[in-house]
Amino acid sequence: MDDADLELRRRTYAFFVDYGRAPAPAELGDSEDVIAGWRRLRDAHALVLNPATDELRMLNPFSVVPTAYRVEAKGRWWYGNCAWDAIGICAALHTDGRIETSCPDCGEPIAFDIRAGRPSDESLLFHVLVPTRQWWDDIVFT
Amino acid sequence: MNLFRSEEHIARWLGTREPGATITVARLTELACAWWDDRLAPDWVPHTREQNTAILERVGLVGEFWELA
Repeated sequence: MDDADLELRRRTYAFFVDYGRAPAPAELGDSEDVIAGWRRLRDAHALVLNPATDELRMLNPFSVVPTAYRVEAKGRWWYGNCAWDAIGICAALHTDGRIETSCPDCGEPIAFDIRAGRPSDESLLFHVLVPTRQWWDDIVFT
Repeated sequence: MNLFRSEEHIARWLGTREPGATITVARLTELACAWWDDRLAPDWVPHTREQNTAILERVGLVGEFWELA
């Protein structure tokens, strides 16, 4: 990942945050160059692409596609890839926010706020199934 | 990486699968803030393995399960 790749990454994230959606390659420059850069960033675990289409799938902690983790922050709804990322969206945006999801076991809604870096409901538990060293073996499953 | 209402819900959701690790949402928030805080910084560069290990250790996540690749 060289300086040009880091700059492409910066512009990709900035577009996503500014517009609330992922850019098409042509919106950032020459499509072939952008896709080649995104592939290098993917290989460096700096973003995740849909393997079938080369479209953006994750700009961690943001999910480009809808997930079970909805986050309201800075006047917009976002999707997190998981509970960790959902809270991470508030951290990345440097703002308070609200997280809405449901219990994977019973399906009951779960909603709480992040205020000044603290959760409003401290009774909830976070479970990680996959050991840390295996996270990138299949990041979508993780 | 999911949120649950209680240990009972986690156990029922796991079924016959081996459990991973469970932490409180307060600790998760501490971890997430440290991990993602710089992600939109214009001068962002990837964290090194050592930097990420230090974050995990700072919030008390140590041991084999939390060892990075």
